[in-house]
Amino acid sequence: MGKKNKAVTVPRKKEKFRLLPYLLLVPSLIPFACFTYYPFIKTIISSFAITTETGEFIKWAGFTNWARLFDSDLLEILGITFKFAAWNLVLTFSIAMVFALISANKVKGSKIYQTLYALPMAIASSPAAAIWIFVYRENGGILNQIFGTKIAWLNNPDTALFAVALVTVWTHVASSYIYLLVGFRNVSDDLIEAARIDGANALVRTFKIMIPMASPQIFFVLFLNIVNAFKAFAQIKLLTNGGPGGATSTLIFEIYYRVMKHGQYEYGCCLAIVLFVVIFTITRIQFLFEKRMVHYQ
Amino acid sequence: MIRKTRQSISLILKILLGVAYVTPIILAVLFSFQPSEEIGAIPLHLISDNPTLEHFKYVLEHIPVLKYLKNTFIMMLICIPCQVFLASLAAYSFAFFNYKGKEFLFSIYLAAMMIPGEVVIMTNYMTVQNLGLVDTYLGMTITSLVGVTGIFMLRQNMKSLPKELWEAAKVDGCKEMTYFFKVVFPLSTPVISSMAINSFIHVYNAYFWPMLVTSDDSMRTVQIGMATLMLSDSSRYGEILAGAVLCMIIPVIAFLIGQDYIIKGMTAGAVKS
Repeated sequence: MGKKNKAVTVPRKKEKFRLLPYLLLVPSLIPFACFTYYPFIKTIISSFAITTETGEFIKWAGFTNWARLFDSDLLEILGITFKFAAWNLVLTFSIAMVFALISANKVKGSKIYQTLYALPMAIASSPAAAIWIFVYRENGGILNQIFGTKIAWLNNPDTALFAVALVTVWTHVASSYIYLLVGFRNVSDDLIEAARIDGANALVRTFKIMIPMASPQIFFVLFLNIVNAFKAFAQIKLLTNGGPGGATSTLIFEIYYRVMKHGQYEYGCCLAIVLFVVIFTITRIQFLFEKRMVHYQ
Repeated sequence: MIRKTRQSISLILKILLGVAYVTPIILAVLFSFQPSEEIGAIPLHLISDNPTLEHFKYVLEHIPVLKYLKNTFIMMLICIPCQVFLASLAAYSFAFFNYKGKEFLFSIYLAAMMIPGEVVIMTNYMTVQNLGLVDTYLGMTITSLVGVTGIFMLRQNMKSLPKELWEAAKVDGCKEMTYFFKVVFPLSTPVISSMAINSFIHVYNAYFWPMLVTSDDSMRTVQIGMATLMLSDSSRYGEILAGAVLCMIIPVIAFLIGQDYIIKGMTAGAVKS
């Protein structure tokens, strides 16, 4: 990053101290300080303290909160969260990949299906939840009518998490699709043409050229979907409210629930740190992969 | 000839796949026009024999949709200009000036990206609550006044402006801030448009934060209002679907109009290629 900056800007002259560039940063630094850095530090501190329900510090508690966290159902919550993330990742990625591969070529009319594949991006969680509750409901629900079953998809502990994950997949495919599509469209036509002349069939061209050349986007989408699954809240709140019996209570939902329904702010802080560590670790792995494996042109 | 038929068959198949993917939306629209008795019927009717507007009428009469829309739009009017303006100022500073501590300050912005909003959301809620900002527009918008991605996109764009432009402006006696307002800011319009339209859909569709900081019905946004309709009486499927359809219209139109900008905005910030 550093090298780039110096190459573009004018060589440094002996200039007198200027206040202006610092002043330009002040308006954006203040919100960052107040609503990103300050709460982050406060969250860490509060996880080692006893606080009021509204988050005011009472006294230090050492590792008591953390000990309680590891004694409780943390592993179960993490299990649910990772399962949710895994479904989201596998399904979103595969569907988006199919959509992107079949629309990689710009032809007459491609804009029509391209728009259809990307449209659910504009659908927010509450209308999406409204629609899917209708699909999932026990009596006269569309899913049950199609399969001739009588399952309360959202109220059955065995199916609820998958049902919620499916709604998340439905809304997330669109943006993954766009990233992948841009990746595939960036692959040069000459390269594909050259391979075709050399006798490579469509399958070979896809796996030996398109996919390797779009690897930055593919990696980005893979990790995006993992992280997005950890951040998914609205659909869980609206479809199942964490239930039945905590079967869909992921980490983020548990944070909300502990703080808002049980008034256990400090406990919520511990969970929030766990969430941070998980997301941070995933992002670090992503950077490592990008550096080592991804092919950049 | 064969090639052409093959192409049109593949086009039709791809469109059908797209239609299948958006089926839930189509169903919601179809069912929102059906009388309540038909919605629960087995087997399902897709096209109603007697379409009705009763559900829409009910929603508009019982739910202050206009008030919710107003709240959502006020949120946007605060968030979008703030995001654009604050991000441009910061991007200008990083792209055009050389100063001590620049790299360090830039890394502060970079590090902010590592802390997801979801991790600090409950603590921010406590802050807003303790400041007495619950149920105020300031409280609803205060955590999304600036975004790092926008700063990066704008910085990238500003760095690509030719140096000669500034040299010429300087000769004409242009000061740095005049140059910013008269030249740099207008030339960043494409990036700003994609930022703005992404932010539009994002703010309109926001759920978690507005749900936390609004408790009064008069401050609810469209999303929260519709969710409340859904959770309050889940037997009124027709009304819920009508609400969902009303709620979707604006972002879907925004998406159809601004599709290209959205795609540009999404990909510009995401992956280097």
